[in-house]
This record gives sequence, C-alpha cells and structure tokens, in this order.
Amino acid sequence: MFEIGLAHYLTVAAILFTLGVFGIFLNRKNVIIIMMSIELMLLAVNLNLVAFSSFLNDLVGQVFAMFILTVAAAEAAIGLAIVVVFFRNRGTIAVEEISQLKG
Amino acid sequence: MFSALIFYMFAALAVASGVMVISARNPVHSVLFLILCFFNAAGLFLLLGAEFLAMVLVVVYVGAVAVLFLFVVMMLDINVVELREGFLQYLPTGAVVGIVLLVELMVMFGGWAFAPDVEALIQAPAPAAEQITNTEALGRLLYTTYAYLFQASGLLLLVAMVGTILLTLRRREGVRKQVIARQLERTAAGSVEIRKVPTGGGI
Amino acid sequence: MILDLVPLMPELLVAAAALALLMLGVFRKADTSREATVLAGLAMGGALAVLVGVEGARQTAFGGMFILDGFAGFSKALILVASAMTVSMSLDYLKRENIARFEYPVLVLFATLGMMMMVSANDFLSLYLGLEMQSLSLYVLAAYHRDSARATEAGLKYFVLGALASGMLLYGASLIYGFAGTTSFDSLAKVLGGSGHPNLGVVAGLVFVMAGLAFKVSAVPFHMWTPDVYEGAPTPVTAFFAVAPKIAALSLLTRVLIGPFGELAHQWQQVVVFISLASMAVGSFAAIGQTNIKRLMAYSSIGHVGFALVGLAAGSDLGVQGVLIYVAIYLFMNVGAFGVILAMRQKGRAVEGIADLAGLAKTNPSMAFVMAVLMFSMAGIPPLAGFWGKFYVFMAAVKADLWTLAIVGMLTSVVSAFYYLRIVKVMYFDDAVEALDHPTNPPIRLVMAVSALVVLLFTFLPGPLLIGAKAAAQSLFAAG
Repeated sequence: MFEIGLAHYLTVAAILFTLGVFGIFLNRKNVIIIMMSIELMLLAVNLNLVAFSSFLNDLVGQVFAMFILTVAAAEAAIGLAIVVVFFRNRGTIAVEEISQLKG
Repeated sequence: MFSALIFYMFAALAVASGVMVISARNPVHSVLFLILCFFNAAGLFLLLGAEFLAMVLVVVYVGAVAVLFLFVVMMLDINVVELREGFLQYLPTGAVVGIVLLVELMVMFGGWAFAPDVEALIQAPAPAAEQITNTEALGRLLYTTYAYLFQASGLLLLVAMVGTILLTLRRREGVRKQVIARQLERTAAGSVEIRKVPTGGGI
Repeated sequence: MILDLVPLMPELLVAAAALALLMLGVFRKADTSREATVLAGLAMGGALAVLVGVEGARQTAFGGMFILDGFAGFSKALILVASAMTVSMSLDYLKRENIARFEYPVLVLFATLGMMMMVSANDFLSLYLGLEMQSLSLYVLAAYHRDSARATEAGLKYFVLGALASGMLLYGASLIYGFAGTTSFDSLAKVLGGSGHPNLGVVAGLVFVMAGLAFKVSAVPFHMWTPDVYEGAPTPVTAFFAVAPKIAALSLLTRVLIGPFGELAHQWQQVVVFISLASMAVGSFAAIGQTNIKRLMAYSSIGHVGFALVGLAAGSDLGVQGVLIYVAIYLFMNVGAFGVILAMRQKGRAVEGIADLAGLAKTNPSMAFVMAVLMFSMAGIPPLAGFWGKFYVFMAAVKADLWTLAIVGMLTSVVSAFYYLRIVKVMYFDDAVEALDHPTNPPIRLVMAVSALVVLLFTFLPGPLLIGAKAAAQSLFAAG
C-alpha cells in the first residue's frame, strides 16, 4: 500500500484515460468539453510514458511525451479555430445539431 | 511513507478534478478543473523524476493551452442548458463502458511485466541524476538523436499557425487602423489649406 | 550527417516548396493562388523525380527513425501522383466558388509531407509526428470553406473523431513502449518475435494502435465520419481526402502490422479479417440508397478499403503486393471519377446529385464514356483494371486459406456493381432535365483522360505496376 510502484501510476493514467473516453460519451453535444476530454486522454498517455520511462530508466518515454505535448498544443489551437468558425456560421457549438449532414 | 502520501494526494486530486472536468455544469469551471488536473499531473511527473516535463506541463499547458480554452469559452456565447441535454441519458451506458474498460486495464496492469531482456533494448538510458540534470539529458537527446523529429515538430507548429490564421483571420471593411508611418508622413503642407473667406460669403 | 539526409531528399524538397510558396503568398499583395497551385504541382513532380533518383536499396536515416525501402518508395510515388493530380484539378473549382487562396496548395503540400513521413516511419515517434502533420493539415482543409456551415461542420466532426483516434493510437503505443522499452520498429520486431506467448499488454496496445489506424483509413467500425466529411468538405478537398491519405494510412497500417508485429500475425489477423468483412459489407449495402454522388463515393471508398484489407489479412508478400496493386488502381479510378464530379456544373453552379448526371451520354459523350469506364472498373468487371486489383487480393486470400474473405468479397462486389451500374444507366438511358455544362478546364480533362487510359490499358500492359509492387512487397519482408 505504501510502496508506490509502476502499477499505481498506470492505474491513475488508466482512470484519467477512461474519464476522457467517458467524457466524450457523456457530453456529445458540447464540443469544448469533448476537446477537454481529449486533453485528459493525452495527459493519461503522457503519464503512462513518463511512468514507464522512469521505471525502465530510459529517456525515450520522456522525449515521446514532450513531442505529444507539442503536437497536442497545436491540435488544440486548430480545434479551437474550427470551433470558432463553426460558431460563427451556426451560432451554437452543439454537435448533435449536425442534422444538416445526416441522411 | 511520506512520498506515498504525496503520491496519493496528487493522484486523488488529479482524478477528482478529471471527474469535474467532464461533469461540471459550466464550461468555465471545466477549464479551471482542467488546470487543477494539469497541476497535479505535473506533481506526479515530479515524483517520477521528470522535472523538465513537469515544468513544461505547467508552463505550456496551463499557461497556453488551458488559457486558450478559457479564452474561447468566454468569447463564444454558449447556451449551457441546451448543451447539457442528453447528459443523464448517456450516463448509464457511458458508465458501464467506462468501468469495463477501466477494470480490464487495471487487471492488465496488475501483472505488468517488461520484455525479458529489456535492458539491452533501451535506446537512451537515463544518466544518473548526480551527473547531469534531467533537462540537460533531454536536451542532449532532443538536439542530436531526435533532430529529425524536432524539425518535424517545428513544421507541425507552422501548419497549426497557418491553419488557424486561414480559418479565423478576417479583414474587416471599414475599420480604421492606426498606421504610424502615415501619421508621421503628414505635414502641414499636405493637410492644412488656407483659404480666404469673403466676408459674409461662407466657404 | 550529409549522407544521412540523402534518403530524405524528396521530403526536404516538398517542405522547402511549402515554405517558399508560403512566403510568396504572404509577401506578394496580389492573389497568388494560381502560381502557388502550379508550383505546388511542379514541386510534387520534382519530388517524384528525386525519389526515383534516391530510391534503391533499403536505407535508413537518423538512427533508424526514417526508412526508405522499396515499400516506402512505391507508396510515396503513389501519394505524390495522387496529390499532384488532385491539386491540379482544384484550382478551377476553387476560383469559381470564390474560395481560391494560396494557403490551399501550401496545406496540401504539408499534408503530402506528413504522408511521406508516415510511410517512411520506422519508429513510433516518427509515425506519430508524420500522422499528425497529415491530420492537422487535413482538419484545416476539411473546414477550408470557412463561410459554409456544411464545411465547418465537416471539419469539426473530422477533428473530434481524428483527435480521439490519435489518443487511442498513442495509448496503445505507450503500452507497447512500456513492455518493450523501445519504440523502434526494428527492435520491436526482435522483441516480439522472441517470446512464445505474447504479453497481454502488447496485445492490448496493438488493439489500440489498430483502432487508431483503422479510423485513419476509415474502415468499419470507425467509418462514421467518412460520409459526412466527404459530403460537407469542398469537392477538391474530398477528391484529395479520398485518395492520398487513404494510400498513406493503408501503407502505414501494412508496415506496422507486417514489420514490428509480424510475429503476432495470429493476433491481428482476426481483427483485420473482421474489419475487412464489415467494411466490404457497409461499403456495398449502405451506398445503395444514396442520392448525393460525394456521399456515394464515401461509401464506395469504405468498400474499397475493405477489399484492400483482404490482401493485408493474408499477411503474405503476395497479399501485400495485392494491397499495393489495389491502391494504385484505386488511385486512378478515384481521381478520374472526382474529375467528373468536379466538372459537374449546371449553368455555372456546382451540383452533386446522381440524378444530375442524367442524359450525359447525349450532352457530353466523352465525359460519359470516361465515367462509364471508371464505374465498370470500380465494379470489378473484366477486363478493366479494377477487376485485376480485386483478383490479386482475392488470390492472396485464397492462398492463405481465407476462403470466407474471398467469397464474401466477391458477393459484396456483385452488390456494389449494382450502384456503380446505376450511375451508368442514369448517364446513358435517363433523359436530362437540365444538361451539364461542358468542362472547359484543361487539367481536369487531362486527369480524366489519363485515368481512363490507365484503367483501360492495364490489362494489356500490367508489367511495370506488377513488378514495382512485387519488389516493394518483398522489400518489406526481406528486412524482417
């Protein structure tokens, strides 16, 4: 219990990852929350990588995590830009109103 | 003992704020909980010895990405009530899917094993902390072995920049902008005109 | 270090061209979309020439993170041809819709660069960065028509699902790294080959990675975004989406499964078989009721991915050769069909209904002929090229004792023939309500002519493609 091992960190990461997936399921209408859920998933991946890196005594995991942070920042910027143009056109950010393309 | 307590504190706070991110009523609160979650994850990174990434997480994620989220949430006029529709409807299915996924992952982690001869495979063994700092060790890798990816991520950020400008920048008509050069160019000769006004005649 | 850069020359050329065009567009006040499009096409042609020059034996660069072998070379050549053809068709359409901007060819170049990096990835890190370079450019391109509610909606959907897929892929990659302590494909192949009983974590990681990549090739059950994005995005963007990114993602999936996970073939084969069956079924049945031709092409592309995966499921060099031949033929069929779709205009206004093609045989016989040839080929009717594409993947499946796949594949291709032939029927036997305008744009006519010729002549001159695909497939197996 008081000996913190790899499995503890992996479990925290797994909980965060599941929360991210769960958040996408629950908030199907709110794109902003969906994007934050994706950020949670990526955070979980980073935690996984850093934990493995630490327990394997290898730096590649940290380098990988750093690239993920970079790309995720770029991705968030593009995602928010798309949300903004979508809002300008439709006046809402609700995704499920995407009935225009159903059929 | 002490470090275990610290771990549990960071882990519990990270998970709790993660729950709040996806369940808060107000998107602004969600963003703030996301920031809290990042801070605690940074704490976990520190416990694992990844000092540089912990700092990057705080500086880049909290400082830039989360603030960008906050900016967009506040800029858009979001109807919170409408967006909450269906939340409870999806809750049971989502909870079942989530819990099943989580239990499976945890069972797997219980017996986690590395590859038999993992030491031989490691590409970049971490140097002892007394010799060089974590930041320096990462830097030495990043600018040598990973130079290709470093350049590629630079191009990737450029793509993000071009993309966001393409999507959101608009030249508005009829907006008066201050152009310093033109202000300085103005002289009395070009802008002031002296006219003789006949008495009682007007211009 | 200088020698290290030689295998990267085509990528460097594309990157430099993208940067140069960006500067040209920013510093010149006038509209440079025409110059930028022409130069982007030329840059891709140049990169293709350089690629032919540097390709040869298996070369790696940057400590094995980047690989140029026959397989990567073949896929890159296809990607460059597809991108160059689609970008050259785009300009006229964008100008007419008043959305021509110099950023369009620049983003296409960046997306192409990302795809080239993907197929040359020999490490999970380079895989991820290449994939994201492609995806970020494609998210923006999908929402490129920013004043159109449909286009931004398509961009938003594509973005959300794409980011989710990247997250899954990364989680899988992190588990695999956690087991093996390495992200390099070469080392992974050794580690995973050694252990007799596969580790549970690696299998879970592999499933996550496959889910992420299945999204990128839009295979069932990760295909939900495809019809909406294809319909909503501007047509030149759809034409681009339908070809180059598919080829890149299929090549990447093939390399990942055959290379590092080659020894786990028993684990992934069932998954690929399932994905392939489901994609073929959805692709043929869901397309029947469609009235919008872009939506139809979306389901058609899902079906084609299913057929190509039949070859991958076989897991042999014959199967990989089949996949490569299939995607090469798919490239020309699809680019040609999108050329026709781009030329569909009534009184200057773009139309997308299948019914709008009615009477095309009378008003524009040559275009109707091209479309008919392409549709017959997509349906897999001999002696056109599409038949041979299917022939090679099914043969590989039969040799690997995957009879179910081969039989279901033939049945679904009969079903899909129904809607391809319906288009031919509409063109030749229905009366036009309103005639389509004649295409006036030389690049589109050229692309249509080239693709029709390739499809018609493949039966008589299959040599170059067969030999190239065979060498490429063998290079993938020789290394492992």
